[in-house]
Amino acid sequence: MSAPEHSLPPGFGSLEPFVSAWALEGADNRLRARLASREADRVAFFEAAKDLLPRGLDYLDRKPLAEHSDQDKRLMRLLLGMAHVALAVEIQGDDEPRHAEGARHMTITRAPSDD
Amino acid sequence: MSMPSPQFLEPKSHDPAHLGTDPVPAGPYYREDYFALEREAIFKRSWLQVGHVCELPEPGTFVVRTIEAAGASILITRGRDGVIRAFHNVCTHRGTQLVAETGGKQSSFTCRYHAWTFGSDGALRGAPDLERFYIEAKDCGLIKIAIDQCAGLLFVNLDREPKQSLRAFLGPLAAELEMLPVAKATTFSEYVYEIDANWKLTYDNFQENYHLQFIHPRSGKAAGGPENPFGYPTRYGFHGPHRTQTIWTNPKPAIMPIQGFAFGKGLPFIAADGFAQAPHNRTYFALFPNFFLIGTPTQHFSHSVIPICASKSRGVIRLYWIGDDRIASQRFAREYAMATALDIHSEDRAVIEAGQRGLSSGALSHIHFQSQEVLCRHFFHSVDSAVQAYKAERAGSART
Repeated sequence: MSAPEHSLPPGFGSLEPFVSAWALEGADNRLRARLASREADRVAFFEAAKDLLPRGLDYLDRKPLAEHSDQDKRLMRLLLGMAHVALAVEIQGDDEPRHAEGARHMTITRAPSDD
Repeated sequence: MSMPSPQFLEPKSHDPAHLGTDPVPAGPYYREDYFALEREAIFKRSWLQVGHVCELPEPGTFVVRTIEAAGASILITRGRDGVIRAFHNVCTHRGTQLVAETGGKQSSFTCRYHAWTFGSDGALRGAPDLERFYIEAKDCGLIKIAIDQCAGLLFVNLDREPKQSLRAFLGPLAAELEMLPVAKATTFSEYVYEIDANWKLTYDNFQENYHLQFIHPRSGKAAGGPENPFGYPTRYGFHGPHRTQTIWTNPKPAIMPIQGFAFGKGLPFIAADGFAQAPHNRTYFALFPNFFLIGTPTQHFSHSVIPICASKSRGVIRLYWIGDDRIASQRFAREYAMATALDIHSEDRAVIEAGQRGLSSGALSHIHFQSQEVLCRHFFHSVDSAVQAYKAERAGSART
């Protein structure tokens, strides 16, 4: 299912195509998405998001988390997804498929971002 | 090829010579009979780390923990008086496991079998038709388990009369633990895994750096450098059955752009909490029998390796945090820190299981530890000392 056209705050429209795959609720779901993903999709998201990450966090930092709008929350989840994908693309690189075999046995049972 | 001299092991005040250099018997890493002895000698009578006070933030909160090696389910409560208590999760009527949930908030616990109801202080509050019994309610409270805390970490001891207090057990390490962020933690990230491997074999993996460049070629890149390719620690410490290592600080770690960005996003919060230059930032604690805690404030994780049987274990890793996420940058930094630690821990699983398959074949009578695997050697000695002492005690009581 594709995301609505303006599901993210103004200025982050270029990330809309990645919302449905990566802006997931729950840290374990974000890990699972990374581990189930194809390399081309990981790289496409990483390349699109890496330069917007600092600006995205600066934008979201202007308000306490509790005051975030739905658009803000979606951007937050997308950037949290980037935390996982950055590890796959930037650190693991072409070793990610082998790495993912072990990581599939880990389950995130709690994270502050789940609250 | 010339290798740098082993300048990273200079234990001066804690000479490990008493641990010897002989090969270590392989049997304890897979034999059922040895594990049966460990259950009695260690898990039914040692202080075991089971949680953190932040899991019981207010009266009425509770958690349930399973300790398979002791065959025990433990109910830990915070009573109306604010006191944290631990009990066997067992109804005192006919032994039914009392609480099925793993945690929550409630002021009383009712057994589903015959509706005996206990308070969070363990007292029997009521039981249907109690007058037909031949006992009094005051004698039917839940069975208490010794519980104490250090640095917010909760420890239980299943010995009905523990031989030493938690503080005596931890010795000087107690004061060091109290100086770590965990002592002020209010929340945590957690991930878990199960592994087909003995608890000691699993635990050993996480107290030697010899394997880092082979098993973590990407995620562990920052751990080693030209002057210390294996990333060996700068110091080892031996403290009774516990041990510590001081992590080497790589002067020129290979850091990737987003990795450095995420690390930088977390630092202001670490500094605001007062832990940017804390005294034990580089200490990795290994508390007997099965608990690790790393002092690093940016990735302040604990790791419990919980035995299920001789060749199966469960790992629980937590990154402890002070305060809820304040703003998006902190949330991002915490998520990245957790995912980084998870990446590294997940890479060890397959090779540990391969080690277990090899050992369980019985092909080897002994295994070998080099000088930089001295913590593994010390661990084996600590476990085996407890097992041998238990055997001697049992032989003594059989004679009398």
